[in-house]
Amino acid sequence: MTHALPRPLIVFVRLVDRMNYGVGRFAMYLLFALMAVLMWSSISKAFFNPSLWTLEMAQFLMVAYYILGGPYAMQMEAHVRMDLFYARQSPKRRAVWDGFTVFVVVFYMAVLIWGAAESLGYSLGLTWGEAGPQIGRLERSPTAWRPYLWPIKLVMLIGFTLMLLQALSAFIRDIATIRGETI
Amino acid sequence: MPQEMIAVLMFSTMLLLMMTGQRVFGIIGFVAVVASIALWGTGGHTMGFSASMKLMKWYPLLSLPMFVYMGYVMSESRLAEDLYKMFHVWFGPVPGGLAIGTILLMVLISAMNGLSVAGMAIGSTIALPELLKRGYDKQMVTGTIQAGSSLGILIPPSVVLVLYAMIARAPVSELWLAGVMPGLLMAAFFIAYIGVRSALNPRLAPPLSAEERASISWADRISTLRAGILPLLIFAAMMIPFIYGWTSLVESSVIGVATTVVAAVLKGRFTWSVFEISTRNTLGISCMFMWIILAALAFGAVFDGLGAVKAIDSLFTEQLGFGPWTILILMQLSFLIMGMFLDDTAMLVIVAPLYVPLVARLDLGIPADQVLIWYGVLYTITCQIAYLTPPFGYNLFLMRAFAPPEITMGDIYKSVTPFVLVMAGTLVLIMAFPEIALWLPNTIYPD
Repeated sequence: MTHALPRPLIVFVRLVDRMNYGVGRFAMYLLFALMAVLMWSSISKAFFNPSLWTLEMAQFLMVAYYILGGPYAMQMEAHVRMDLFYARQSPKRRAVWDGFTVFVVVFYMAVLIWGAAESLGYSLGLTWGEAGPQIGRLERSPTAWRPYLWPIKLVMLIGFTLMLLQALSAFIRDIATIRGETI
Repeated sequence: MPQEMIAVLMFSTMLLLMMTGQRVFGIIGFVAVVASIALWGTGGHTMGFSASMKLMKWYPLLSLPMFVYMGYVMSESRLAEDLYKMFHVWFGPVPGGLAIGTILLMVLISAMNGLSVAGMAIGSTIALPELLKRGYDKQMVTGTIQAGSSLGILIPPSVVLVLYAMIARAPVSELWLAGVMPGLLMAAFFIAYIGVRSALNPRLAPPLSAEERASISWADRISTLRAGILPLLIFAAMMIPFIYGWTSLVESSVIGVATTVVAAVLKGRFTWSVFEISTRNTLGISCMFMWIILAALAFGAVFDGLGAVKAIDSLFTEQLGFGPWTILILMQLSFLIMGMFLDDTAMLVIVAPLYVPLVARLDLGIPADQVLIWYGVLYTITCQIAYLTPPFGYNLFLMRAFAPPEITMGDIYKSVTPFVLVMAGTLVLIMAFPEIALWLPNTIYPD
């Protein structure tokens, strides 16, 4: 007689899945914002003065699109696997494999978060004063438009964190599958 | 540990981990960040993140979701149905004609989008049931669709060549032009193969019956030709401003999307479900690509830091004394074998830090600024072959997913053999005569 998974774990999985679904659906529609910016870029180039901001704005949108959409893509199982052997296993065996190897994703995300947090701190000019962290000189992109860089780095930090949570959620689901439960 | 050993260790760990079936991006990224921390200590941990900043500045990559979206809109709204009818009516009367028409259909679809998925979807939903109904041999049909749709990555626009252009730092416009002649040549070889095979054994691919032919009037025949206007329009709207330099690659891709969507709306086929499926799947495919590239960049950065390419180069040329052509052929052979097991994005990851710099150093008698353009075509054809070779081939799995149950996996595996041989033949031909690829870019950009 096996016991059901602890309630907090089930709540965690449901919460993470729902949050990433919402964020992913939002990111999905950024595609049209990206199209609009690029459309405007070609129109303004042809008829008026070319806009300074379109190129970088498009790049920021693209980053937000795929970084924030990543966890939702993981829910859809869109991230490709070399499933030569994997696909031939029973669902239970697959969950066993996946439960171990999903930690490569967790580790990779943790290192990315570490790097992103440091880089975000630099972009905000963070220093640690007596009263806690203080914001200093803000980093700008070295282009004519000179946008601040911290917003996009914050988006990346959030995206990597969501991906880490999604990987943990996948891990808990694997355990549930091994124990013959469904969440 | 010597640096070549570290490089070998990184590769073998990555391949081994991939066999477990974990998501490819996670494995590549994991090996990259572990290696960078192990090699450079705590300073190495930023490498993974700096790759994402580098990726942001790769402007041409913005065209990736556009081409993916275009392909989905095209296949989901069944825009190609009329095109198929056109070829059906005109080529149906000869033995093998419907299969030949399917190849031509694939050429047109390839000229409108940059991946093979759209061609597979269109081929197997529209052409496959028709051809089976007319008594075509099932292996002939599935082989034709799989091989034909792979032309999507060779004939411009091509997403694979955009990715390659990033790695090789070669201009996308010249690479795309370089893909035109090899792509058409390969299509011609496919058609020749189907023609000869069906002439020898008409039971494999029977012509349309006399009654059916009589039921199609000449007025109908002429009116089907109108379907051919659409691909020409989409291709021209995208490619002409780009080749002339009026718009950038990315802007052209948006024009392509706009033209496709307008065409679908005008035909009354841009329904809510087409919109939802296309948008959702575009996110899925784009994320899959982008996360792998993100990890691959980190992997490549570690690899560059090791200086392993120089070591491997000297191993081949100085210690083993191979000539440049021997090295190239060995590389291509190893690449074909890898292609059986890996998908094309993963192949790019492996090839990028190793093969591209090596090719640039080889003295093959091709001008230095053109050798990477030519190699881009070789790379793309190898990817096409990789799509079709068991045990791991994208198109094989897609075919399995789309095909009716009476077509077994064995049928699908057997069906690709002749087409893979035709592709390999084209590859050899382009290796021997680089002019086939380089003629068009050199004519349009003489400098």
